[in-house]
Amino acid sequence: MNLGLYLHFPFCKTKCFYCDFNSYPLKNIEDALPYISALHQEIILYTKKIPKGILKTIYLGGGTPTILPAEIINDTLEICRENFLTNPDMEITVEANPGTLDKRKLKVLLSAGINRLSIGAQSLRDPELKKMGRIHTKKDIINTYQEAREIGFNNINLDIIFALPKQTLIEFQETIEEVCKLKPDHLSLYNLTLEEGTLFFKWWKEGKLNLPSEELEYTMFKWAISFLKKHGFEHYEISNFALPSKQSRHNKIYWDNQPYLGIGAGASSFLGGYRYKNYAHPQKYIQELEKGRFPVEEGERLSLKKRMIETIILGLRRKEGISYQKFKSRFKLDLDKMFNLQIDKLVNQKLLKKDKERIQLTFRGLFLANYVFREFID
Amino acid sequence: MLKEVTLTTDRIRNFSIIAHIDHGKSTLADRLLEYTHTISERERKEQILDFMDLEREKGITIKSKAVRLYYQARDGKEYLLNLIDTPGHVDFSYEVSRSLAACEGALLVVDASQGIQAQTIANIHLAQKNDLRIIPIVNKIDLSTANPRQVISSLRELLAISEEEIILASAKEGIGTVDILEAIVKKIPPPKGNPDNPLRALIFDSVYNSYQGTIVYVRIVDGNIKPGMIIQTMVNLKKYEVAEVGIFRPQLQPCQQLSAGEVGYIKAGFKNIQDTQVGDTITDFYNPANTSLPGYKKMNPLVFCSLYPVDNNDYEDLKSALDKLKLNDSSLYSEPETSQALGFGFRCGFLGLLHMEIVQERLEREYNLNLIATTPSVMYRIIKKDGNIIQVSNPSSFPAKMEIEKIEEPYVAMEIITPNQYIGGIMELVQDRRGIFKNMEYLGENKVKLNYELPLNEIIMDFYDKLKSRSSGYASLDYEFLGYRPSDLIRVDILVNYELVDALSFIVFKEKAYYRAKKIVEKLKEIIPRQLYEVPIQAAIERKVIARETIRALKKDVLAKCYGGDITRKRKLLEKQKEGKKRMKKLGRVEIPQEAFLGILKID
Repeated sequence: MNLGLYLHFPFCKTKCFYCDFNSYPLKNIEDALPYISALHQEIILYTKKIPKGILKTIYLGGGTPTILPAEIINDTLEICRENFLTNPDMEITVEANPGTLDKRKLKVLLSAGINRLSIGAQSLRDPELKKMGRIHTKKDIINTYQEAREIGFNNINLDIIFALPKQTLIEFQETIEEVCKLKPDHLSLYNLTLEEGTLFFKWWKEGKLNLPSEELEYTMFKWAISFLKKHGFEHYEISNFALPSKQSRHNKIYWDNQPYLGIGAGASSFLGGYRYKNYAHPQKYIQELEKGRFPVEEGERLSLKKRMIETIILGLRRKEGISYQKFKSRFKLDLDKMFNLQIDKLVNQKLLKKDKERIQLTFRGLFLANYVFREFID
Repeated sequence: MLKEVTLTTDRIRNFSIIAHIDHGKSTLADRLLEYTHTISERERKEQILDFMDLEREKGITIKSKAVRLYYQARDGKEYLLNLIDTPGHVDFSYEVSRSLAACEGALLVVDASQGIQAQTIANIHLAQKNDLRIIPIVNKIDLSTANPRQVISSLRELLAISEEEIILASAKEGIGTVDILEAIVKKIPPPKGNPDNPLRALIFDSVYNSYQGTIVYVRIVDGNIKPGMIIQTMVNLKKYEVAEVGIFRPQLQPCQQLSAGEVGYIKAGFKNIQDTQVGDTITDFYNPANTSLPGYKKMNPLVFCSLYPVDNNDYEDLKSALDKLKLNDSSLYSEPETSQALGFGFRCGFLGLLHMEIVQERLEREYNLNLIATTPSVMYRIIKKDGNIIQVSNPSSFPAKMEIEKIEEPYVAMEIITPNQYIGGIMELVQDRRGIFKNMEYLGENKVKLNYELPLNEIIMDFYDKLKSRSSGYASLDYEFLGYRPSDLIRVDILVNYELVDALSFIVFKEKAYYRAKKIVEKLKEIIPRQLYEVPIQAAIERKVIARETIRALKKDVLAKCYGGDITRKRKLLEKQKEGKKRMKKLGRVEIPQEAFLGILKID
């Protein structure tokens, strides 16, 4: 069985104001050690369960995995290789924050087999970085990026968030223009979402967060799509842009609704038709593994209908959309017969286009993807 | 423990408990039942006499219930006590008055920290009208906020009694229970009726259940009743053969006969509760009484709204659910109706707002219906130019302006009781609602009684909430229907995407029309989700647009990152949004959420 592997590191230096990810500020490296050994324990537990698992990709996410010593990351990857079948040229990504890496660390990571770096830049304007609670500056981003290039990383992604409080179109354009000057291989462009429990959410409820209008958000996104295209990026997924051959293989596993294994606190997995999730709180996660148990908190077996719906709403995120033939070979049923009502309605509304081979979001549909997805949801 | 003894009328005491909402009526009833071993501690739920779920939740008693208690008094004799529980809300004041008419005495319960409230006074009036002996009880004296001294002095003034007559109690802690039972025995007179006279039984409640049909709750005033007798209702003139009579323990327990002074139930193949209405008198068909008991009134609904199923396919289910509710609720009125916007539904009439809320909740909860309720309205009387007089509660059936000579609307007399410091805010509120000031009186206890006359239309939506918020929850109100008065009223229509939505039309006092129309289109702009195209919302009087807002087209609605592959979370989010969509009604091309139909009047 081919798998994507996600490893979660729930640690960061400080919590950013918009972030609701499962991550906690880490004071001393020692505090992370019980978690790391639990994480290794979980990997080993899975060898019995999926002895023939072949890893297509590994993704180390967080939090900020790179606040840990590179040796810990190296050890973790070694344990993965010992316990799963792997491919020598598999994509291994690590998420990194500017300011948590130096040349030595980058070298160790590269020699550990990491071949893709995803840098959480978020903005290239210092006032915005400060407002978001980021601990780095624009200069840190550029330094980290250039050092990684020098060391030999040839596949680098930058994460950017837009529609920030009080952000103007010109300010946003400045970030994207700066990004393009750096020439990354990949760019993830997300609009800010307010999640409950974050400081941003609290401020928003108190009326203290002045967010750009939907109109402006729309304009920013539309501008970015055309600007990035001019700079050679392919807009291959709603929020993702890549140079040729640099699309994220790991994320494609999600969008193709293929199996993946999530290891670590709060990590999600999709295996054997089950979606399930680990305990999010590191302490609880560690306790379960100390007792030799899978740290799974909850899960569900997806019905055929749900699997189809998920395949559609994930697949439509990609520019190439969903091909009838792939759908049929997977489900033995015809996409255009199962969902003809929804498809016809959306085609009429010019949110979806269909041809002989596939359905895809239209340019308009790209901006109204949620609306499209809701049509397919039961 | 459950012994049946025949006791002469001088050992019978029939009483009710009357109280403002939440002053502890049901808890006191529980204590009396426990003390007299009518029900064991094990059997008791939070509030024994409240059978319906909704009652427990809202903390009020909707249908009156009765129970028989046996009490061994300090004088060594055994007494039979009939406790008749009464609804505790202004909507049901007629039912309360009939329950009281079945008694000789009433326990008046007043909360020691909240003191006299509007319902307290309304209840005292009702009890006095029925010549009841009132036993005042100051309850919740264990609370740290209790101020029994003040309550005692107001009660002394209101009832013209001495302090010794007032019992201090805490139903929660069981304090004062024996004093209350002794007072019932000593102070409440035994029933007066004559067992040898022809039968006269007062119906004070009737309930329907599908196994036993309609069961009628009665107080026998004169004569007696036993199975096999042919009986007749004196107002509705229906004839039945008695199948069973019995008493409340509190479950139904059959007995051989019920005699003058007793409280019990009758089963007699009653078809439906509309035939055995509260307040009617039952007599012996072959030996009828000359006159029926006084006080019968046909109850007319005061508040109206339309109920439509969100899914038109549920129409039949709604119809049968309403029919079932009507079996147990003679004051609920419903009649089929069609709306261009909402399809097939029912125009329903209720005794008041709480009654309306309870019916809606029961339909949604017990019958699992997804409903759209239109803005509540009152019954208007329209005198047309051609001389015809019509009664209209539904704004969409209002005749054209040119056909109308005069419109009249129902007015109520309202009594508000509030601590002094809130008078200003309350007067402002009532004046804003076209209230006509009548009287103000100081009650002591730092309290004031305000009397107003105002249109019912002005209080059916959010008056009570506003009153509570302007008085930090301390003001209470009571009202009764006064009559119809001419008014300068006008209908405002709402157009969504240039289409008239008949269910959103409303009637308003002319001077307020512009202001209200503006607020409502603003509100609708907030409530109606954006669509793929621009949607104008207009308010119009006789096709002339007086207010407009535009809902801009939806431009961007995209999911952010699928973090760590947590696809379930995203799917659930979409599912939740979709669920919200299912609760919307599609009108033309626009989807309107249910709250739009009700939320419309909840504006300042």
